[in-house]
Amino acid sequence: MANYVMLNNVEHQNVKVITERSARYGDDVHFVMTFPIEFRRVQSFYPIFFQKDASTGKFYPIALFGFEAEENLFLKENGWDSNYVPLMIRRHPFLIGLQNAPEEADANRSVVSIDMGSPRVNETEGEALFLPHGGTSEYLASMIEVLEDIKVGHEMNAKFIDALLEFDLIESVSMEIELNNGSKRQLLGLYTINEERLEQLDSEALGKLHSRQFLLPVYMILASMSSFRTLIDKRNEQLADL
Amino acid sequence: MTKPVNTVVIVGGGTAGWLTAGLLAAEYQANRESGLKVILIESPDIGPIGVGEGTWPTMRLSLEKLGISETDFIRECGASFKQGTRFAGWLHGQDEFYYHPFTPPLSFNQINLARYWQPLRDRVSFADAVSPQSQACEQNLAPKQIATPEFASNLNYGYHLDAGKFSKFLETHCVEKLGVTHILDNVVAVNATEDGDIESLGTQSGATIQGDLFVDCTGFAALLIGEHYGIPFCSKQNILFNDRALAVQVPRTTQDEPIASATLSTGQRAGWIWDIALPSRRGVGYTYSSAHTSDEKAEADLRNYLSGSVGASLAESCAPRQIKFDPGHRETLWHRNCVAIGLSAGFVEPLEASALVMIELSAKMLSEQLPADRSVMDIVARRFNDKFLYHWHRVIEFLKLHYALSKRRDTDFWRDNCSPTSIPADLLESLELWRYQCPWHQDLPHVDELFSSASYQYVLYGMNYKTEGPGIIRRSDKSNMVTADGLFSDNNKRRKQLLNALPTNRELIGKVHEFGFQKV
Repeated sequence: MANYVMLNNVEHQNVKVITERSARYGDDVHFVMTFPIEFRRVQSFYPIFFQKDASTGKFYPIALFGFEAEENLFLKENGWDSNYVPLMIRRHPFLIGLQNAPEEADANRSVVSIDMGSPRVNETEGEALFLPHGGTSEYLASMIEVLEDIKVGHEMNAKFIDALLEFDLIESVSMEIELNNGSKRQLLGLYTINEERLEQLDSEALGKLHSRQFLLPVYMILASMSSFRTLIDKRNEQLADL
Repeated sequence: MTKPVNTVVIVGGGTAGWLTAGLLAAEYQANRESGLKVILIESPDIGPIGVGEGTWPTMRLSLEKLGISETDFIRECGASFKQGTRFAGWLHGQDEFYYHPFTPPLSFNQINLARYWQPLRDRVSFADAVSPQSQACEQNLAPKQIATPEFASNLNYGYHLDAGKFSKFLETHCVEKLGVTHILDNVVAVNATEDGDIESLGTQSGATIQGDLFVDCTGFAALLIGEHYGIPFCSKQNILFNDRALAVQVPRTTQDEPIASATLSTGQRAGWIWDIALPSRRGVGYTYSSAHTSDEKAEADLRNYLSGSVGASLAESCAPRQIKFDPGHRETLWHRNCVAIGLSAGFVEPLEASALVMIELSAKMLSEQLPADRSVMDIVARRFNDKFLYHWHRVIEFLKLHYALSKRRDTDFWRDNCSPTSIPADLLESLELWRYQCPWHQDLPHVDELFSSASYQYVLYGMNYKTEGPGIIRRSDKSNMVTADGLFSDNNKRRKQLLNALPTNRELIGKVHEFGFQKV
């Protein structure tokens, strides 16, 4: 059970975090949310799609790791098998949120929480969060950077999606795959950039997207489609090994 | 001699007027210099009657054609989702009920499941056996999820809406987006050409409005088709007795009251009560036969119904509005260069919500077949009349079916309704046939029937009509029985999935207000 509490250097002085990538620690997911700030690195390994949040219907971009629940084709015996691990995988067991105390002046200050229920969290193994005299460890400092990126990423996603919808650039896509063993599968609920619409945009519309720094991410998504083939190849390799 | 149709003048600004104006303006690009000119003239003194608060699924297409976002429509018209009608007390006048859902029986084009449901009739209701929708309605569930794109559905649906807000909403959209010219003025004169066409309308402020085609959307007043042209009215009161309605709006007592996903129709001593659920209020009304009850008794029956849900004191404080009508339609709907759409064309009790759909269909045909020139208008007019007189005929027959199958004999209203002398001969003949075979596609031969044989099945078998056993076993029965068993169990599976996955009507409407639907 997840149990998030606000992080502090008194209560969590001795806490350590296991950073190994493994299904044991919940890394066996077939996608995570991703953000324009990491698209360039994400697209060279993972296909980027959009998906809808089931409770709001809102779109958000995802990096795809597999074709069904719990299938992460990048997760190997010895860890994560690629040179870039997306932010939303790296963030665990931390979370960033807004200070929930509206009466205080810095109500919008972001706060870091830690999931004390995570199997990564213990007092004997892994990276320490705090230095013996209470200072922040290098590990924790790097995690705070990840969380800050995620926070900025969330805000950017909302604006990015709004801009794409404004120009009708999101379309539903049905990805059908056939594996070497002859099995077929259809991936539902995925959306991508409508290339035809993109090509029809006039220079004014393109200029608008560009000035808001959304044009490059759009092309990164299109470029990421070549990673879809890589994903199929990985699944086929896995089948061949069985 | 040619005279192109360049200007259409619509008289009357209720739902009929604005829907017609909008559909014409959208199709013929009235917002462009080269487009059709669409003028809507509306009296500043006469408000719309606002009776149409239940739509068919066709409304989704109409809204899409108008270029309206479903999210805006739901937010601004106080709308909710409608998935059919729940009829209570029509068979015995007790608690019994049945559904006429919008979704046809499973695989309706391939197999007539009604035939294979007959042996199961004591175990499962027809609607429950062939569609997941009746149970979704029983649980006040929505027909879709927030992640379902706008106008798309998991279960087929139309809307319940606030008619007053809807016509205002259409007005704004038509004027601001679609290029409809809106004139607020009273029509005081109809100027005719020598051969009897309408040439122009004279208004109170002294203006003359020229047009090539005039659409009469003036409601019961029927200013052009009735008052000017004197086209006779065909009363159908000998078949459908209801000629009055008492309507009230009931505020919600709590914020989290469930919002019913079906129109509730409850049989009464001399008619029936509609109950339409909107997020912020209910629209409730009693439509009755003045020959079978008095206005006072009807009002007492309405208050009695209301007190069941809101308590006696609130029920006493409601002030019902009375509407009188003659059930029926004009003998001709399109005469010379004038076509009647909406109440001016005809009106019957709101059973099965036929009012708005008739407007949509009329506007759709007008828009698809708009004659390019006066010289061919009479051809289109004849076809329009043929089609819509047929529709009226079928509406009246289908509404009568609801009464004709009743076992109620508690009042003269129900006894008279079931007397063969009040039932159209066509319907009597069909009922005779359906004792031995279940209605299907052959029974309703037109491609665009208003009520398909699926609707007939829902009402017949909802009302416990008996179609005799299979008779001689057909060659196709053996394989069909296997298919039918599979479909019945598919339906059970799908129902379970949907009941788990669908939010309640209220939850979804809350989310539409908060997040809105996506377009894709």
